[in-house]
Amino acid sequence: MNRRRFQQLSNRSFLYAGAALLAIMAAFPLFWMVSTSFKPPVEIFAQPPTFIPEDPTWDNYWRLFTATNFLTYFWNSLIVSGMAVILTMVVSAAGAYSLTRYQYLGREKIAGLILCTYMFAPIMVVIPFFILAKKVGIENTHFALVLAFTSFCLPFTLWLMRAFFKTIPLQLEEAALVDGAGRVRAVIYVILPLALPGIIATSIFTFILAWNDYIFTRILIASDELKTLPVGVQDLFHSALIDWGLIMAAGMMITIPALLFFVAVQRYLIRGWGAGGVKG
Amino acid sequence: MKGKSSPMPQPVGLSGLQRGSGYATLNPSANQKQSWLAVTKPKRHEQLAGLLTIAPAFILILALTLYPVAYSIWLSLLEKHSFFPQQRFIGLENYLYLWKDPEFWSSLWLGVVYSVWTIFFQVVLGVAAALILNETFVGRGLVRGIVLFPYMIPTIVAVILWKWLLNDTYGVVNYWTLALGIVRDPICWLGADHIMLSTIVMSIWQFFPFVLLSILARLQTIPEALYEAAKVDGASASRRFIHITLPQIRGILFVVILLRSIWMFTKFDTVWLMGEGAGAGRFIRTLPVYAYMRTLTYYQAGLGAALAVIMFAILVVCTVIYFGLFREEADIG
Repeated sequence: MNRRRFQQLSNRSFLYAGAALLAIMAAFPLFWMVSTSFKPPVEIFAQPPTFIPEDPTWDNYWRLFTATNFLTYFWNSLIVSGMAVILTMVVSAAGAYSLTRYQYLGREKIAGLILCTYMFAPIMVVIPFFILAKKVGIENTHFALVLAFTSFCLPFTLWLMRAFFKTIPLQLEEAALVDGAGRVRAVIYVILPLALPGIIATSIFTFILAWNDYIFTRILIASDELKTLPVGVQDLFHSALIDWGLIMAAGMMITIPALLFFVAVQRYLIRGWGAGGVKG
Repeated sequence: MKGKSSPMPQPVGLSGLQRGSGYATLNPSANQKQSWLAVTKPKRHEQLAGLLTIAPAFILILALTLYPVAYSIWLSLLEKHSFFPQQRFIGLENYLYLWKDPEFWSSLWLGVVYSVWTIFFQVVLGVAAALILNETFVGRGLVRGIVLFPYMIPTIVAVILWKWLLNDTYGVVNYWTLALGIVRDPICWLGADHIMLSTIVMSIWQFFPFVLLSILARLQTIPEALYEAAKVDGASASRRFIHITLPQIRGILFVVILLRSIWMFTKFDTVWLMGEGAGAGRFIRTLPVYAYMRTLTYYQAGLGAALAVIMFAILVVCTVIYFGLFREEADIG
């Protein structure tokens, strides 16, 4: 084996070792969660720990659904995230259309201002937001939560949608207008179908952000029956004796929807990233 | 317009209509590539339609983000209970209080320690990982998907998971470090001595995929020919990185470091959840956590708001300095 070939081979093995290390580092904690969630209590505390549950059981999941308020939290998360997605998408699609199709004074200024708020961290917004919500009398409602998520997601969804709308050639819309279609018809029949992949991807990003949120819910929601998953599960975690199996099962149940959606949009992800990325 | 020389042959029947402002855009030679939707001078109803469609987004951001942030500046001048409506104007007293408050200085310091370490390592790890995942190898797509997991899972799940891994009696990390003989006694990872380290490691794990994705997206646009040429010239891998890759990713690196710095310095949920219930929470009480506690544990909304304002001011100052230091990169980015 000559020297050059040897060099190449060792480079390849370094590459594979690096990639394997990366994958293990990222995935091991999650694997451990899956594994623990299927273990009976005795095995959870076994030393040495077992990788694959020797005696797998659905018991942790069963208790999660029957003995805790998990389903309520799940339902709340679904409602609040869903509403936030609808509101955010309607508002940002209209806004992105405006920013790419109309000309008016101060258009770029407005776009810049909105992008600027992308840098405001939740902690800086949420404290005054909470006090104001209390003044208006909407604290401890899902409505306040939906508004908070929307304001949190808007800068980046608007930016993303603008990037998607920019890729749709104006000529198509013009052709429709020349053919006698009105603005509204042109948008519905020409623009929206073309923008659909972008709209779906952006909706899912918004959904994941709302679904994963902790801080807004923690501060704005007080009653147990209104809590969303992250806050509900945190409270579960704080009950006197930590039931690791149950907690890991709950972790699985929050992660699965987010992961499913994530896998669905993965191919749009890199493109979206170029347009402004995901906040967090 | 009439009478002035026009290069276009004048269609006889239209001559009377030439005063119409729209005529110029029908001239096929002008701006042929651009389309008339974008080129026509904004008409009044166009302007109105444009403003009406951006209005909902603008109003929401104004009312739900800009107004609250402005309001917190006012709030920071008040003595106000978080839950009751009573309030009293006290000027800068909140700020004076914080100036003399050792808790504030320690939270500022802890926040700086936390952000500097996490930013440094997530950038190094993220760039290294992006370089690996930009090469071609079997199973690349799969690994690319897997490494994004940590960033996509909810923070609460990430924290609970790490607390379980790091559990001092039953955690798998302690089991291995003991079994491999790295340490003799189990380490209390979430105790006073190690909680900062644990939180930093966990945060790097959670946030490096953001750097990775941003850099990877940029790496994919670097023309392969550049590397081929360098290889022909006999440049080693490290020289290729310094002379080709680095200049190409400088712009995006500038943006990524800026965003990550802002977000790590204001990171609340990860730090708060790691510290909560661990007993050693005050050893990772960073500025955002302290602001939260002032507002919702001590119910001093004014002080909480003052802390948020200070945080914001620090960010603005640092951003300006950062832009000044890296002016060239800012232009590329």
